Amino acid sequence: MAVCVAVIAKENYPLYIRSVPTENELKFHYMVHTSLDVVDEKISAMGKALVDQRELYLGLLYPTEDYKVYGYVTNSKVKFVMVVDSSNTALRDNEIRSMFRKLHNSYTDVMCNPFYNPGDRIQSRAFDSMVTSMMIQVC
Amino acid sequence: MSRPAPRKPEYHKINKDLFVLTYGALVAQLCKDYEKDEDVNTYLDKMGYGIGTRLVEDFLARSCVGRCHSYSEITDIIAQVAFKMYLGITPSVTCNNSSRNEFSLILDKNPLVEFVEELPAGRSSLCYCNLLCGIIRGALEMVHLAADVTFLQDRLKGDSVTEIGITFLKKLDEKKYRRKK
Repeated sequence: MAVCVAVIAKENYPLYIRSVPTENELKFHYMVHTSLDVVDEKISAMGKALVDQRELYLGLLYPTEDYKVYGYVTNSKVKFVMVVDSSNTALRDNEIRSMFRKLHNSYTDVMCNPFYNPGDRIQSRAFDSMVTSMMIQVC
Repeated sequence: MSRPAPRKPEYHKINKDLFVLTYGALVAQLCKDYEKDEDVNTYLDKMGYGIGTRLVEDFLARSCVGRCHSYSEITDIIAQVAFKMYLGITPSVTCNNSSRNEFSLILDKNPLVEFVEELPAGRSSLCYCNLLCGIIRGALEMVHLAADVTFLQDRLKGDSVTEIGITFLKKLDEKKYRRKK
């Protein structure tokens, strides 16, 4: 369902990035990189309002002809970016929200690992398998 | 009403995540301080020993277990009462040898390792829960039983279950209730 999933740290470097068709990996990396600008714009637009659960989800960041990019930012300014195939029109907003929530939960489990130093690349098997389950095409 | 009622177990609850994260931070800090796994294991065991010598008083006050007559009874009480009281799990007990002084506690669920997926690279012989071994050893020593407690199997190292082996050595203090004449 998702074609590329990325976790970006507060300082805007990637903690985890993975895409499914591995040939055009660079293109997806570039898309995620450009989407960071849109994320920053949306965060600053929210201003000093109290951030609650609904506003963590940023929604559609920008559509391209083949793909749509969605964003989600946590209170600790860690960003999750997901690229999905445009042809998959059955994907509803709720499903994207639930995928981000699963990502967020897995991320907190990774953070709770006492041997993980915040800022390191994410190398957890459980996180990998959760992302794989999100990426498997449900035809 | 001459005898005071046994102390009711007052369970002051704290958040399990806080406890698990605190233990994880302790092990992570020890790993930063000591390079060799054996050193980390030894210090965890020593710390556990200090905890166990104190914890056993609290345990005996709260649980009011009677006198045990055999090593297998002691191991059963450790598994079914002590572990349940402090960690909320009940490991199963098996006896390993015919002379009935070697037992194993098999933990299918260990709350201390909830967030740890695997041991970090270069720490493959770290016994993450060695504190538990020290606690059991310290507690048994305070009731005058010398025992050797180690991890026989560990899920974090790739085994299928986590197994703590308790080997009872000879009693430290023989019962001497007769007055020396």
